[in-house]
Formats: sequence, structure tokens, C-alpha cells
Amino acid sequence: MSSAKTARRLTRLLAMLPWVIAHPGATVAEVCERFDYTPRQLAADLNLVFVCGLPGYGPGDLMVAYIDDDEVIVEMADYFKSAVRLSAPEALTLLAAGMAVLSSGQAPAALASGVAKLQRLLLPDSEDSLVVDLAEPELVGELRAAAASGNVVRIVYTALGSGATTRRDIEPWTVFSTMGNWYVSAYCRLADGERVFRIDRIQEATIRPETFQPPTELPPPVVMYSPGVDDVAATIRLSAASKWITEYYPVEELDAPNGDQLVRFSASDPQVIARLLLRLGDTAELVEGPEVAQAVADLRSRILARYQR
Amino acid sequence: MQNVIERILNLLAFLLTVQRPVSADEIRVTVAGYDRSSDEAFRRMFERDKDLLRQLGIPLQMRPTDAWEVEYGYVVPADQYALGDPGLTDEERAALWLAAQVVRIGGQATGPEALFKLGGAPIGGAVEPLAADLGAESDLLGDAFLAVAERRWVGFEYRGSRRLVAPYGLVHRRGHWYLVGPERSNERLVKAFRFDRAADLIVGDEPGQFERPARFRASDAIPQAPWEAGSDDIVADVVFDADLAWWARRQLSGRVEAKVEDDGTLRVSMPVANVDAFLAWMLSFDDRAEILGPPELRDAFVTRLTGSAA
Repeated sequence: MSSAKTARRLTRLLAMLPWVIAHPGATVAEVCERFDYTPRQLAADLNLVFVCGLPGYGPGDLMVAYIDDDEVIVEMADYFKSAVRLSAPEALTLLAAGMAVLSSGQAPAALASGVAKLQRLLLPDSEDSLVVDLAEPELVGELRAAAASGNVVRIVYTALGSGATTRRDIEPWTVFSTMGNWYVSAYCRLADGERVFRIDRIQEATIRPETFQPPTELPPPVVMYSPGVDDVAATIRLSAASKWITEYYPVEELDAPNGDQLVRFSASDPQVIARLLLRLGDTAELVEGPEVAQAVADLRSRILARYQR
Repeated sequence: MQNVIERILNLLAFLLTVQRPVSADEIRVTVAGYDRSSDEAFRRMFERDKDLLRQLGIPLQMRPTDAWEVEYGYVVPADQYALGDPGLTDEERAALWLAAQVVRIGGQATGPEALFKLGGAPIGGAVEPLAADLGAESDLLGDAFLAVAERRWVGFEYRGSRRLVAPYGLVHRRGHWYLVGPERSNERLVKAFRFDRAADLIVGDEPGQFERPARFRASDAIPQAPWEAGSDDIVADVVFDADLAWWARRQLSGRVEAKVEDDGTLRVSMPVANVDAFLAWMLSFDDRAEILGPPELRDAFVTRLTGSAA
């Protein structure tokens, strides 16, 4: 005998009794539809109730439960007049599911009012303490659909490093989210190779009628940096305030003699590193990397020129 | 199964009626179904029944049977047993049931049990299979939810240290669950902890262990953008060049006033709560955006640029 099965049967039984007690005259069909019973299962459960009750277990102590014609009768069972409170996982799952569907913006009005009533019941002193937001950035849904149907997509993409905008046809494989950003991994026909694109950098995406055959084994959905021959590198000294970048960028941590935190950062475009250095301000210091030093100087004077006119 | 169900119904009817702690011995001689068992058989049977009651969500508690606390007994407080009536209509129940079927938590479909407790609903036929999965394991998340609902402290391991947190709220946003609240060491700083990175979660024994600020809103704790999280209070006036206007617009939230000029440039007036994060974000536009005001914000940006040690 499985205890999960017993628990499910008891849960339904302890939910059905209060409802029938509160709705005298309920029919077999109503109770069956509401609690997903077959008439046979309902009769079997009522027969169990009929032989249970309070110590003494005589006629005046047992509950009364039977089907009269088509009517479900439950009497002498006032201690079961309330349903059992929801367990924490039950409460969370139901509320979160309701809120998730609401956040998608395609829910009926009855869901909004139902969720509001549940919130008042389950989170009486702070209805604002549970939030479920399934909203996704633009284009995520379109790209996911194209990956599922195997359609080629034409994108207008602005590269993170150079800022260059290109138009390219990609064969989208997987759409994924990591570190708070959304990406699509794809075969890029312009680059003739596998690429990962940050979706918020895709300005436009047009689904093409042409379809493609995805590889049988897809690469893992991660943002990987693969060093190229033309890469530039820089050595950067970090402080406590800038140490976080080692968790967010593919840097190599170097052994430094005097306890300094030195990292080596490689990128295909020096501007990526330059922008990060300007962002870190005086919490990081460029130790070595002439191309990057030049890129920092260029970027700084370019921006300052705008502010000094 | 029949015997177990009869025994549980009898036990529960008894406990809900007497409303005082009763010892295991008293249960054994009073409640039908236990009477004819040996000591050992009773002990095992009673243990299993207690587990089953708890699995059903029934609050089975132990309390002293007298003022001297010599003997303890079992009690199911009627007020804690009963589900309050939220007053749902049939239409609302049906909508909730449909939502429960399209959303999964940790890959698990929601069973109909919660809906049954709320009064049942017609169980529809086929629905769209998997519309969304909210990740995380529902039992652990259930514990966190209980802590939020009942204002209990939670303790967990996070980024290499043990945290004691007052869980003000629970938020699912951008694909992750966050537990939101201050650590005991600094009750004024509300932080957001990624729930999937928290380990060894324990929940406090008592309800009502902290007060939640009256105007707390969990959704504000996980900002839409990094510069919206902080205690600064500035409205920045910014212009973005036409070629990057699309990218700026995409990252701005609804709280921003934006206007497209005739030449395609985008002029916005945006609230900034974290100046540092805002300046970092402005750098990502290279020289194709400009802070027009207020002057101190513009100066801070220039200082940041010229003061860099690189």
C-alpha cells in the first residue's frame, strides 16, 4: 500500500465532506465533477465514512453518509465541517502558478480576483511579499519559436565590443538565460561558425521561411570565450571593490608576489577591456597591455569631447 | 488502505472533538482501530499515522497534558486545522486550476489537492502541456514561503558564509527565485539572495519573529535595472543618439519619460537610485549618449572618466 496514494485519497475525502456539509442537497454528479470522483469511488468513500466517528462507536457516535436517490447525504460529521489548511508547498504552488499566468498578461479576469483572494488568505499581513514575474525581454519568445521550428532568422546585431552593427542570417539552436542576460546560441552564416548572441543586442529579428537541420548534439548553453590569434590581453590589478569581476568575466587569475590581486583579461577587441576599466574607475589599475591603454585613452577622449563642447 | 483510512478518520474525529492534549496511551485504548494491537505493533502503526497526518498538512502538535508538564499528549488545534474561506467563486477556482496546470515548479505538475481543499473545481481535459517552469524544488521553496507568510527567521549558507535573514518576501524574476530581506546583522539593508545558491535552509520555530516594514513591496527589491536599486534619488536628463536609441529604449522601464526627436535621437528623463550603476551603464553607450543634467550628475560622470587610474 502506497502512503502517497492513501494521502491523496484522504485529502480528497477530507475536502469533499466539508463541501457536502455546506451544500445540502448536492447531487452525485455535482460532487463527482467537483472532486474528480467516479460515482463508484464516491460511494466507496462514503461507505468508509459511514463506519467511522467518535469513541463509543454506536449509532449515535458514527457519522451518517450515504447516497439517497441521487442526493449525497452527510450528517453527524460537524468536526469535519472545515477543509484542512493548505500545506506550505500547496499554497506556494497554487499562488505562484496563478501569479505567473497573470504576469504573462493573458489571463481571464477571474484569475486576477482569485489570486487576490488567495493572497489575502495566505499572506494576511503582506500581500506584496510574493512576486512572480515571467516577463521576458523582447525577441526571446520569437527566437525560441524559431529554434523549435528550425527556421533561419535574419538579425541586425550590434557587437558588444566594437559597437559595430551587422546584418546576418543565423540558425538558432538554443535560447538560454544566464547572469541575468538572455542569449541565443546559433550557427552564424556570416561568420561561418558557432556563435552566441546576447539577445538584448539584437535590434531586429525576422523569421525566414527557410529551415535548417540542427546538429544532433547541441553545444552546452554557456557563454564561452575561445581565445583567437588576434586577441589582445591586459594585466589588471584589482582591489577589494573590483574583485567581483572575476565572477563575471573570463579572466585568468595570476599569482602575484605581494598579495596583489592580478588578473589577465583577453578579448578579441581591446574596447571591451577599456570600457570595463573606465567603469571600474580607480578601483582597478591597468598594469600591462599597450593596446588596451590606447583604447582607454581613445574612449575617454571621445566621450570627454562630447562633454566639453 | 481501507483500515488506515478508517483509523485516521476516527483519530482525527477524536482529536478535533476533544481539543485537549491526549497521550498515546489514551489514544490506543480509546480510538477504534488501535485497540487490538500489541505494544510494538501499536507503536509502529501510530508513528506511520502521525506521518500521514502531517503529510496531509494537518497540524499535529505535542503539548503537556497538565500544568506540571510531566506527560505530553497530541493535539490538533481546531483553529489551525481549518482552512479559512477565501470566498472563491467557481469561475475563480476553475481559473486557478487551469493556471496550476500550465505552470510547473521544479518540473513538477501541481496536483489537484490544493484545489480540492478550496472547494474543488471541474477538472478540465487537455491543457497546453508545459507553458512555464518556475525552477527550484517546491518543498524547499514551500519552506521559504512558510517563513515569509508566518514571519519566521531563516538560516542558510550563501557565498561561503552562514546567513540569518528576516524573509520579507519571495520573488521570481528573470528566471530565478530570490529570497528578499535583511540579515540580522544589519536590519536596515534589504538584500536579495538567489534561492538556488542558498544551501542548508532552516526555518525558525516560532511565527512572528520579525516585523515587516509597512510599506515593503517585494517587487521593488529586485529592480528591473541595476540603477533602480539604491538609495540615491535623482532624475537624470539624458539624450541617446539615433543609432543606439533602440538599445536604450529596450533597457528603460516604464517609469521613464521618453521622447523621440525629429532627428531620431531619444531624450529621456529617468529616475536614478544608484548613481554608480547608472554611470557604468552610460559608459556602455560610448560617445553616443550624453547626460544633460542635473549638473552634479554630469560632473560625476566626467570625474569618473578623468579620474580613472588606467
